[in-house]
Amino acid sequence: MSAHISIPMYQRAVPQRYRLTGKLCKSCGKINFPPKAVCKYCLQGASFEDVRLSGRGAVYSYTVIAGGGAPPEFETEARCKGSYPVLIVELEEGPRVITQMVNPPEEGIAIGMSVQAVFRKIYEEEGVIRYGFKFSPA
Amino acid sequence: MTKSIISCGVYLPYLRIKRDEYLSALGRCSAGMREKTVLDIDEDVITMAVEASRVALAGIDVSRVGVVTVASTGFPYQEKAQAGTLVEALGLEKNVLTAQHSNSTVSGTESLLTALSLLDQTEQPYALVVVSDAPVSGPDVDLEHGFGAAACAFVLAKDEPGLVFEGVYAQSGEAMGLRYRLPGETDIRDIGVKTFAMLDYNETVKGAVTGLANKLGRNLTDYRHVVLHQADAKSATALAKKMGCTDEQIKEGVVYPYTGDTGACSSLLGLCRVLESACAGDCILISSHGSGSGSQALSFCLETPVPKSVVFEAVLGYKRYISYIQYLKQKRSI
Ligand SMILES: [Zn+2]
Repeated sequence: MSAHISIPMYQRAVPQRYRLTGKLCKSCGKINFPPKAVCKYCLQGASFEDVRLSGRGAVYSYTVIAGGGAPPEFETEARCKGSYPVLIVELEEGPRVITQMVNPPEEGIAIGMSVQAVFRKIYEEEGVIRYGFKFSPA
Repeated sequence: MTKSIISCGVYLPYLRIKRDEYLSALGRCSAGMREKTVLDIDEDVITMAVEASRVALAGIDVSRVGVVTVASTGFPYQEKAQAGTLVEALGLEKNVLTAQHSNSTVSGTESLLTALSLLDQTEQPYALVVVSDAPVSGPDVDLEHGFGAAACAFVLAKDEPGLVFEGVYAQSGEAMGLRYRLPGETDIRDIGVKTFAMLDYNETVKGAVTGLANKLGRNLTDYRHVVLHQADAKSATALAKKMGCTDEQIKEGVVYPYTGDTGACSSLLGLCRVLESACAGDCILISSHGSGSGSQALSFCLETPVPKSVVFEAVLGYKRYISYIQYLKQKRSI
């Protein structure tokens, strides 16, 4: 399974991937992250304002991907670490995001634990580094 | 106009390897640190630079940053305007003046000096200086044993209280065969003559430091802290003592035992550490060194303590030790 994303498509998402820019719906006031064409909460708002999310949140759910289960772009990382944790983080502004976790605590990950976005390499393809966010214990 | 450092940020990778790991795996270690910082597989000098910058910029209106300078001996790309990645990650204005310094461990202080100059070319009050480095060589190369990784960032301001920049003095000259890297190669090498390297370090750094003191009409004893470039465990302390500095002046700025050789960051990382305990009125001297060679000594005086957003000791304490085998995996050597 590969989640190939073209460079132009990745590039368009740089504000959200690099600095967690979300879209505040002008109709209902909720924050869409990742951005949507139509607000996923009120299903009618299509006019948004950029807001930068704090990067603070809490673990809503998690799983650990075993080395063999990693998609090709994460293979080097899986080979280096054996396995890696993936979280669903509920951001303090409301949205939930799927993300990898760095520096997992030795005592294990707990639902509700505080986490913080960090800037990391997500993967590299054709020599082009795709940067983005992961989450670390806060 | 005065120009001051008004905040700083440090980033150290979470992973560490102890010197003892080298001893038990290889039977020896050619470097004298206690432990050193190790990049995780998804980290590079740009990711470290972003993290250090975020700490330094906390509480600062990023739309008023008019200059970004960035330094490293090992950017992930040999050609690419990499300040742009920082501009996006930090949400800076797209019209910031940028400069990238590389190719030598003297590039850290170079980027600070460039930012001081570029501040005159912008209406904005702030400049961001980011120095991030992780020197690389093969595991079979002696130099490699000491190589660590770190980033530090500084916000410079026009006419705001902080750590006031007072002046600089430099030394440059030809020094052949000491720590170099050829185009297309990732591994740093040297001709392996330590006494020759030491001689060059002592001469170049001493020339910059004494030149700066003379220029400013000061004695070294006037400085609360003297922080010299630390590419190994002993040279900086030995040279500072030879120049008449006391233990009190030297010890707080020594970071090598905890991080290893952080290349372009070295003396600037020491500066971040001494700033935490510095009091108003304290003067601080730092001096970089790059093989080849060059050194730049910079003098600062603390007008108002720089606020602590992150405590250096806490950054040093946040860590997980890895084995030598894991270390080789991180380096993709196996
Ligand atoms: Zn809505």
